[in-house]
Amino acid sequence: MNPPLLTTRRDFLRTTLLGGALTWTVPSFVAQTFSALHAAADGSLTQIATGKDAPILVLIQLAGGNDGLNAVVPYTNDFYYKARPTIAIPADQALHLNDTLGLNPAIAGFKNLFDAGHLSVVNGVGYPNPNRSHFRATEIWQTASDEDKYLTDGWLGRYFDNACAGCDPTVAINIGPRLPQAFASHNPTGISLENPDSYRFMGAGQNDDEELAYRSMYATGHEDTGASGGSISMVSGTVTLQNGQSAVDFLERTAMDAQLSSDKIRAIAGKTKNNVVYPGSGLSRDLQLVARLIAGGLPTRIFYVSQGGYDTHTNQRGGQDGRLKELGDSVKAFTDDLTAMGMFDRVMIMTFSEFGRRVNENGSRGTDHGAAAPMFLVGSKIKSGLLGAEPSLAPADLKDGDIQFNTDFRSVYASILQNWLNTPSVPILGKQFDTLPIFG
Amino acid sequence: MLEPLPAAQWNQTTAAHLLNRAGFGGSPQDVENLHKMGLDRAVSWFVDYERIPDDTPAPDWAVDLDPKLMALREAIRNAADPEAKRELQRQQNMTENTQMADLRYWWVRRMALGPRPFLEKMTLFWHGHFATSFEKVRTPYFLWFQNETFRQNATGNFNQLLIAVSEDPAMLRYLDGANSNKNKPNENFAREVMELFTLGEGHYTEQDIQQAAKAYTGWGIGPDKLHYEYHPKNHDDGPKTIFGQTGNYSGEEVLNMICAKPECAEFISKKLWRFFVQDQPPQPIIDALAAEFQKHNLDLKHLMNVIFRSKEFYAPEVIRAQIKSPVQWLIAATRQLQAALPTQPMTLVMLGSLGEELFQPPNVKGWDGGIAWITTNNLLDRYNFAAALVEGERVPLPNLKNRMKGIMNNLTEGGDLMEIPPTDVKSLFTPDQLNTGDHFLAAIQERFLNDTLKPQRLSSLQDFLKTRSPIEEADMRKAIRLLMSTPEYQLT
Repeated sequence: MNPPLLTTRRDFLRTTLLGGALTWTVPSFVAQTFSALHAAADGSLTQIATGKDAPILVLIQLAGGNDGLNAVVPYTNDFYYKARPTIAIPADQALHLNDTLGLNPAIAGFKNLFDAGHLSVVNGVGYPNPNRSHFRATEIWQTASDEDKYLTDGWLGRYFDNACAGCDPTVAINIGPRLPQAFASHNPTGISLENPDSYRFMGAGQNDDEELAYRSMYATGHEDTGASGGSISMVSGTVTLQNGQSAVDFLERTAMDAQLSSDKIRAIAGKTKNNVVYPGSGLSRDLQLVARLIAGGLPTRIFYVSQGGYDTHTNQRGGQDGRLKELGDSVKAFTDDLTAMGMFDRVMIMTFSEFGRRVNENGSRGTDHGAAAPMFLVGSKIKSGLLGAEPSLAPADLKDGDIQFNTDFRSVYASILQNWLNTPSVPILGKQFDTLPIFG
Repeated sequence: MLEPLPAAQWNQTTAAHLLNRAGFGGSPQDVENLHKMGLDRAVSWFVDYERIPDDTPAPDWAVDLDPKLMALREAIRNAADPEAKRELQRQQNMTENTQMADLRYWWVRRMALGPRPFLEKMTLFWHGHFATSFEKVRTPYFLWFQNETFRQNATGNFNQLLIAVSEDPAMLRYLDGANSNKNKPNENFAREVMELFTLGEGHYTEQDIQQAAKAYTGWGIGPDKLHYEYHPKNHDDGPKTIFGQTGNYSGEEVLNMICAKPECAEFISKKLWRFFVQDQPPQPIIDALAAEFQKHNLDLKHLMNVIFRSKEFYAPEVIRAQIKSPVQWLIAATRQLQAALPTQPMTLVMLGSLGEELFQPPNVKGWDGGIAWITTNNLLDRYNFAAALVEGERVPLPNLKNRMKGIMNNLTEGGDLMEIPPTDVKSLFTPDQLNTGDHFLAAIQERFLNDTLKPQRLSSLQDFLKTRSPIEEADMRKAIRLLMSTPEYQLT
């Protein structure tokens, strides 16, 4: 039996999709009028799925290698100022977290969250034998592997396999054009979403025959789609089909997930709204969409967003400060929005980046690829403070000019899996990692 | 291994496969023309493209020392008033964005309509391999110039190509070479050239990177901010130890040392095989290919000749098993529909939404390709763009006032630019192919798939057409669009 058809609104929706063409050369607000003009037409859809109370994890990838030392600044450390003659954050500008560490002033939004008791900084996070390739290092973080082990499935993919095999594809939503390798698994789960307005098959003409035929091509007779399909990768993962599966298997699985999730997504996108004004950046638009999807009551446990631009080999202050400001302001708006919705208690946010950067600046007012760096955790249930020992910058304590790690990133993952997602971490991470006291 | 395909196996299917992979696909007539040539002439038609004249003109702004660009730069330099300067900079930004859109479309047109499809496909391969992005490079002239460098060296010697691309403003800006300082060299290029352009991860040490970075110092961009220039005073001419050998190497010498390593031949062979043939190449094929490549001194044309003539290239598990890139998807669709390429804004929004914004790859690794092209969201986009291509689309302009209306009308030339006409189905098929649902279904599978649909989808389409007698043109378009909204259609 086919699910009931939703109203076809070809005239509005398809043209909205291509109206985006105009963003190429005109200010984006002009192009946005397309969406605004047509938004009103996109109401009157199906009812929203029932809300769930389960905890939600929002991951923010800081792609390119966020420089930890200029984000969480050791403002009393002479080694820091000696290593960074042109790009250091002056001590009197750092937003103090304690007697030795302070935040880059660009990320003032995080200072607000810290003061409100909602932000924790984990110092010196890394892993043994750090890799300095963007792509390999990202793979390590996405798959939670040791440096010398090559895994194709992601740590969240293994979480889905363990904790919700066969569950709805919307259990994990990536906002962006490439599914992260972290989601990859033997039974792939999770969808990618960029534009909820066009996230559907749009039929032509006045009747629904075309859409009915499309649905019959994917009709399964029951909701469970079984376990076909392949693995998914992302910008920096290894792209492989698992277990000798074919490209057409992978496409069929993706087509099925798209079909199953699209009715829900667009119903929610049309029904929910944000409660606060977000800054206009890319990251903030993504978090804005996440907030609406949370408000809509999808069964999603994991959201994944990504912010690029952290590969600051040249003129770092010009680049990283802007990124950090966008990060701090967007996350602050997001948490305010969640608070207004009464949803903040359900959500925690984790940032991560493939590596930190070299302690010494280079000759182009930038920094090259390095090793350990801090991570940020945000949430109403998070215990505000600093975790993990502050790494030493004394030249004798550095390895190849890089900070040595104190906390394995998989300890952070283990803490979140066990104490936030309430699932045993060993089957997912392959071994026991110490947990950290991140929750209050 | 890599022996030529026996003549008896040259048929419609293998000819269509060559057309799809060496070029961008085509109509049944194109397949037939290629088939008639025979394997040797068909491969030669693609690979020996020098014999086909190509007089595609460059974009009109892509000239050395473009007077308009120079004048604008001069005006910005001389602007005394900060507000006036900002206005000029906004103008410059707008010019750069407009030129970039122009360049993107210029290239897509050349791929779709130009006389040398294989050359353009190789150029696309090199763009993904030596990835650089407008986001950081900014100057469209650099990206056009680099694109020409790829084209001129597309099937020459890899070592020469590597040097030409490395000593080039787009790369020097993208990987910070132009800012590298001999006292504290910048390692960005030194790392990526070994990891992503030549050897692959694991075939060099951190020390090799740091030492090589010294050798590349001195490469820069001249004071006109448009040309490569060597700055001997900024070159570290002291000794460097790379791959265990010590010498006062120049940057070019280090690139030659890299190219001499067998891992380089293997890395490039494998990447070409992945792009043109199959996502997960069997190791024995790569070994054979790398040996051939090394024996022939990294001669790219020889390698491509071997690939396109080999039995392995035409293996059944290779044919119709590659996921189309967005560029391939769009160009193949317009060629199968025998339709014009959509207008500039429409073409660019399609490629952007589908994840292949030319001159703006996601990072220095380029596009991963394969299954990474596909997500739930952009698969739905493919289905909906197929509707626009087949059933036609017209995007109405929003009701705007005053200045905005002017900008918009300017941009879209009053709206015509935002229109795609519906496919003229009757011109694509014979009366016999149109006279029953089954005939029509067979004809569209031949034209759009060179293959058949899987049973469930085939029977859905049969049911769709069965109830219609006579079959109206609108129904035929719907059937084509539905066929393009299948997993099978995403493969080539």
